[in-house]
Amino acid sequence: MIRHECLELLAGKITDQLVVTSQSGQRIEWAHLSKHEGNLLVGMMGCAIGVATGLALALPHRKIIALDSDGSVLLSLFNLATLGNLRPKNLVIYVFDNGVYSGSRISYPTATSGHTDLAAMARGAGIANAHMVRDLEDFREKGIDALTRDELAFFVCKVEESLMHREIPRPNTDLAENKYTFVRYLERTEGKAIPFLGRG
Amino acid sequence: MTDELAQRLVSSLKAAGIDFVTYLPETRLSQILPLIRDDPGMQLIAAASEQEAVTIAAGATLGGKQAAVYMENTGIYVSSYSLLTVGKQLGVPLLLVIGFLGGVPDQRNSFLYATIGSHTIPVLQSLGIEHMVLEDGGKLETNVVDAVRAANAQRAPFALLFAGEFSA
Repeated sequence: MIRHECLELLAGKITDQLVVTSQSGQRIEWAHLSKHEGNLLVGMMGCAIGVATGLALALPHRKIIALDSDGSVLLSLFNLATLGNLRPKNLVIYVFDNGVYSGSRISYPTATSGHTDLAAMARGAGIANAHMVRDLEDFREKGIDALTRDELAFFVCKVEESLMHREIPRPNTDLAENKYTFVRYLERTEGKAIPFLGRG
Repeated sequence: MTDELAQRLVSSLKAAGIDFVTYLPETRLSQILPLIRDDPGMQLIAAASEQEAVTIAAGATLGGKQAAVYMENTGIYVSSYSLLTVGKQLGVPLLLVIGFLGGVPDQRNSFLYATIGSHTIPVLQSLGIEHMVLEDGGKLETNVVDAVRAANAQRAPFALLFAGEFSA
């Protein structure tokens, strides 16, 4: 299973969910696959799950999806303990775990190539619905199905390293442009003003 | 900090529109936590790290909340990465409510805190985060409203450093 196959399946299920991506190849692949205005392409590692959690708490009626990587989650393991206690029912997290720091271009192993099991860590932190997914059928059955459930879900998707993201066009939307598209989309679909935008 | 000052601080946050607070507790301002927790108009979220507190508050801001992060100034060092990337680079307003341990006006300053305090303002400045130091509650309500307005206008975090009578 490669990450792009999972993202293709997921992209076909997006309606009005909000999708937050971390920095890694999945940010590039997701931006290529989905032009959804509810995409927030956070351009840094270790921050996407926190931002997605804040969105989930602020908008409890809205499904929030976080796309992250093993290296990024290892940077922000504190998220597991916080989520294990908050348990926002509207948040689904997919961690694409290729076991290497692929973006570094030398693909040295992450801890998940060794003895570290992020799904087990998530369960230990209190996220009861945390699973390891190893093939596309499993991703479809468990991972995609979670979008229809009212429960915090955390999927560690074991994927082969793929360099597809280096072959497809990178998103040229800068962070500010993406942010404003995202909050304007929220204003439209939530029918309320986002306070910080203020007035000119 | 007196209970009356804690009450005024929470009322000031609320009057400034703050309705979502992430935090790691500390010693100088901790009386505000039960007041926020018991206020039905404010959402209080415990984080495991100040870095996380910043990212959760940023997500809530983008989702329509007016968010604050309450932390000790040591949290500035811990969260400088997310303050810079999510706060400054992405451009998300956040009110930082900070116990200013080891600052010159910290009334409980000691060898334990002085180094932490002396680097706080230079680090904020290096991150491009503006700040005000509050030593008394004379203009508390105005200061908090001004800080939230500045954060929103700048699309960036703004720090209020509490010392003086807030640290007594």
